[in-house]
Amino acid sequence: MPIFQDNRRLVSRIRGLRTAFVLIFLVLFGKLWYVAVLRADYYRELAKQNQVRIIPMLAPRGLIFDRDGRILVDNVQSSNLVLFLDKAQDLNKVFDFLRGLNLSEEALKERMQVARTCSKYQNVVIKENLSLEEMSYVLAHQNGHPELTIVEEPRRLYRYGLLAAHALGYIGEISDKQLKRTEFTGHRQGDIIGKYGVERSYNQTLTGIDGKRRLLVNSIGRTIEELQSVESSPGNNLTLTLDLDLQMIAETELGNDPGAVVAFDPVRGDVFVMASHPAFDPNLFATRINRADWARISSDTENPLQNRAIQAEFSPGSTFKVVMAVAGLETGVVNENDTIFCPGGVTLYGHYFHCWKKGGHGTVNLTQAIRQSCNVYFYLLGQKLGIDNIEQYSKRLGLGHISGVDLAGEADGLVPSQEWKKKVTGDKWYAGETISVAIGQGAMNVTPIQLARAVGMIASGEEPPLHLIKEGEGYRGSVTAVGSTSTAAPFFKEENLRAVRDGMWRVVNEFGTGRGAMVEGFEVCGKTGTAQTIGNATKKTLSAEEASKYADNAWFVGFAPRDNPEIVVCVIVQGGKSGGGRAAPIAGKIFRAYFEKKHPPQGPPLPAPLQQVASNATETPQPASATNGGIRQ
Amino acid sequence: MSIQRVVSRFDVLLFGGAMTLAFLGILGVYSASLQNPASTAFSRQLVWTGLGLILCFVVFSIDYHHLVDYAFHLYVLSILLLVGILIFGREINGSKSWLTIAGQNFQPSEVVKVVVILALTRYLSGLTEDYLKRQSFFVLTGITMLPVCLVVLQGDLGTALMYFPILGGMMLIGGLKFRFVAAVMVLALLLAPTSWLVLKDYQKQRIMVTLDPSLDPKGIGYQTRQSQIAIGSGGLLGTGIGNGLQSQLGFVPEIHTDFIFALLAEETGLLGACLVLLLYLFVLSRMVRIGEQARDRQGILIITGVASLIFFHVVINVGMALGITPAIGIPLPLLSYGGSSALSTYVALGLALNVHYHRFVY
Repeated sequence: MPIFQDNRRLVSRIRGLRTAFVLIFLVLFGKLWYVAVLRADYYRELAKQNQVRIIPMLAPRGLIFDRDGRILVDNVQSSNLVLFLDKAQDLNKVFDFLRGLNLSEEALKERMQVARTCSKYQNVVIKENLSLEEMSYVLAHQNGHPELTIVEEPRRLYRYGLLAAHALGYIGEISDKQLKRTEFTGHRQGDIIGKYGVERSYNQTLTGIDGKRRLLVNSIGRTIEELQSVESSPGNNLTLTLDLDLQMIAETELGNDPGAVVAFDPVRGDVFVMASHPAFDPNLFATRINRADWARISSDTENPLQNRAIQAEFSPGSTFKVVMAVAGLETGVVNENDTIFCPGGVTLYGHYFHCWKKGGHGTVNLTQAIRQSCNVYFYLLGQKLGIDNIEQYSKRLGLGHISGVDLAGEADGLVPSQEWKKKVTGDKWYAGETISVAIGQGAMNVTPIQLARAVGMIASGEEPPLHLIKEGEGYRGSVTAVGSTSTAAPFFKEENLRAVRDGMWRVVNEFGTGRGAMVEGFEVCGKTGTAQTIGNATKKTLSAEEASKYADNAWFVGFAPRDNPEIVVCVIVQGGKSGGGRAAPIAGKIFRAYFEKKHPPQGPPLPAPLQQVASNATETPQPASATNGGIRQ
Repeated sequence: MSIQRVVSRFDVLLFGGAMTLAFLGILGVYSASLQNPASTAFSRQLVWTGLGLILCFVVFSIDYHHLVDYAFHLYVLSILLLVGILIFGREINGSKSWLTIAGQNFQPSEVVKVVVILALTRYLSGLTEDYLKRQSFFVLTGITMLPVCLVVLQGDLGTALMYFPILGGMMLIGGLKFRFVAAVMVLALLLAPTSWLVLKDYQKQRIMVTLDPSLDPKGIGYQTRQSQIAIGSGGLLGTGIGNGLQSQLGFVPEIHTDFIFALLAEETGLLGACLVLLLYLFVLSRMVRIGEQARDRQGILIITGVASLIFFHVVINVGMALGITPAIGIPLPLLSYGGSSALSTYVALGLALNVHYHRFVY
C-alpha cells in the first residue's frame, strides 16, 4: 500500500456528504417544528381525547387453613378510596377535601407524601374499608372530584384476631427497601405483600395475579367505554399444619403472661402449635396504613411483634439436663446406673454450688436425677464432661442454630464454648463456668423451638423437619438446622436415648416435678425448668418490686407417648416462677386435647345415623387438602 | 501504544457525543418500562451498553488496516452465519433472523452491516480508477446484494433496506459517475412497480399510509398518529420522565424500540428532541471531520460507511416518528432498546475512533 495517497477527491466528496447531512437534518428539524410548535395545540387537544384510566383489580390472596381445613385467614370485600393522580389538578385541594374523612392528620400526610412521589399514572389508595358515611361523603362531592373513585377490593381478614398471629404473620404495602430485594421481584410500589410469618414465607404462593380494567373516560372522569378487562386470578390457598384446637388451648392457658408455646410432630415435623404472647392483631395491618396502631405496637416495651417461639432466647434452666444426660451417656462418662450422693450441694473449684433441695436428694442415678432435677448430679456430670463435650452434644441436638422452620427471622441461640468466650471477652474459659452451664444457666441460650426440637430428637431419634405448611402445597421442605457435626439420623444410641426418656417419663408419671403434664393413658414424658433471668447476687440488690420483674421463667418441654412419639410440646411462661407449677399444666392440657382428639372419650354412644355424620365430618377436610395440593378459589 | 498517546489521539468529542445519546437512550428505556414492573428492558439495556462499550474498545484497539485486510474472511463468515440462521435461526415476529446466545436473542444481520462496510472498503481501496468502472460497480453491488437477499429471505425487509445507504454512500465517495447515478434512479423507478409485487400487504399499506395518514387513522396510521400526538403535546420542556400520557398509557406502540424518539419528545419536550437531533448531527459531522483527516482511502471509506449507516437509521427512524417516512421497524442508534442494534452501533463507533486514532502515518 502506498504511504502517500492522493485523497483529495475523496476528501472533497466527503465534505459534500456533510452538506447533505445538514440539509436532510434541516428537514427533520422543520417537521419537528411543525408538529411540536405550529400544531402543538391541535395535538394537545388530541391527547386530551386519549384519556384512559387503568383500574387495577386486586387479586385476592390465597386463603389459609388449619390442618383440619378450617379457615384461619380469609378475604372480605372492602370499599377503598383511590386517588388517580393524573386527574388531580391540585393535590392540596384534594387533601383538604379528604379531611372530611375519618382519617388522622398524620395518616393523611403520609398518604400525601406517597402521592407526591408516585408516577403520574399510578393510583394511590387513600383509605381502605370506607364506612357508609365516608362513602356518601365522597359520592356527594364526586362531581367536583373526578380524581377520586371508590373501588371494591379484597381485604385480608384474620378470623381469630390475635390467635397464632406470629405464625400467620401479616401483610402490608411493600416498602422501598423490599422493592429492591429479589424476594419480591415483580412487585411494584403500592403492592400488598406478606411481611411476616407464613404470609411472608409463602408470599409467592399466596399472591395472585392482579387484573385490570382499561377504561376510556371523559375529561371529568366518567367512563365512556371499557376498552379492556383482564380478570384477576386469586393466589393459591395454603393448608397449614397448625391445629386450631391445640393453638386455642395454648393461647388461653398462656393468658396474659408473656411466653411461648410450640408443639409439633417429632417425626413428620408438622408444627401443631406456635404461640407467642403478648401478640398483636394482624387485622390492624391488613389495612394499608394505620400509623397510630403501628407506632403503638412497634414501640410497645413488651415487644408484641417478636415471635418468642423462634426469636426469643432464654436460659434453658433445668430442661437442659436432658441434653446433659444424652451427652453423659453417649460419651460414656456415666452409665445409666452410676449413682452419686447429693447432700444438698457440692464444692467445686473452691465454690459451693447449691442443689435446689436444701436437704439433698441422697443417692441418685441418672433417671432419678432427671426425675428430681438434682443439680448436684449434673454439676458432677458437667465437671466430668467438660465444656467441649457439652458444646458438641448441644450442637448435635440443634442448639445454637436455627431450627429451620419455614419462618424468617429465627434467632440462633447460643451454646457457649471456649472459642466463643475467647472471641467475645478475650478471656479464657474457666472450669467453674462449666458447672453453671451444666444446669442450663450461664451463657447458654435457646429459643423455645430449638429446645423442643432437641427433645424431639431425644424422643424419636430423628431430626424433625419442622414446617408450618402441609406437604404438597408450595411446601419447600425445611433447612437442615443442625450444623455439619451431625449428618444422618439416628445419631445417638437407642439405649442411651431410652434411658433419658425413662427419666423424663418419671418426671411426669412418678410424682416428679412435671406431674402437672400427666395424661391418663398417654405416657407423657417431659422435663421442667425454672430458669433464673438474673443472677442470685444481682437479685439481692433489687427491691421486691424490681425483683418481681425478673421472676424466674417457667419451662416445660416434653413429648408423648413414650414409644413412637407423636407430639412434642414446649412451654415457657416468662416470670412463671415454677416450671412444674405453671408450665407443665399448660403442656398437660395440650397433650390431653391432642390425645382426646385422637381417642374421643367414651360418652354415651351416638345413635347410628349421627355416628355416620360424625365420622364423615372428621374425614372430609383431609383428602380435599391432601390430594388436590391446594384448593383453588 | 503508550497511554499518553492513546489519550491524546482519542476523539473525546465523538465519544462524548455518542455517550450522551446513550445516556438519553437509557433514560428513555427506563421511562418506557415504568408501567410494566416485570420488564427487564432497563437492566438489559445497561448490560447491552456495557457489552457494546467493551466491543467498541476491542474494535478500536485493532488497527483498522488489519481489519480491512481480513475483510473478505469476515465477509465469508458473515454470509455463512446468515445462511445458518436461515436454516437454524429462531423466528420472532415473523422474522427468522434471530440467534439465541445464553438466553439472549440476537440479530446478526445488524452486525453484518459493519462487515459489509469493511468488505466494500477493501474492494474500493484496491481500485486505482478515479471514477468507478462498470465492472467495479457490479462487484460492489454484488457484495452488498448477497447479504441483503439473505436478510430478505429471513423476512426482515427493514434491516435489509438499511444495507443500501451504506452501498450508496460508499460508492458516491468512491467515485460514482453521474451516468451511474442516473442509471440507478431509472432502475429504481422501473423496479418500484416490480417491488410492489414482492412486498407483503402490510408493507404496501405502510407505504400508502405514510403518503396519506388520514387513510386509516385507527389502523396502520395509528402508530404514526399517536407518535405525532406524543411529540406535539410535549410542549417546550415536556411532561417529565415517566409522566407522558401518550408514552406511559400505551398509546404509542413499541415505545422503547421504534418510537423512543416520540417518548423523549413527549417527556423532555421540544428541547429534548432538538438536543437529540443536534447530538446526532454533531456525531455525524465529527465523523466527516475524521474522514477529512484520515490517513488513507481506507479510512475515508470506512468513515463514509459508518456515517451513512448511522445517518440513515436516524433519518428513517425520526422521520417515522414525525410521520415523514414509512413505519418500518428501524431502531434509533444508541437510543432504542435492543442488543443487536446496540452492538452494531458500538462496533461502528469503534471503527470511527480507530480511523481517527491512526490518522497520522507514524
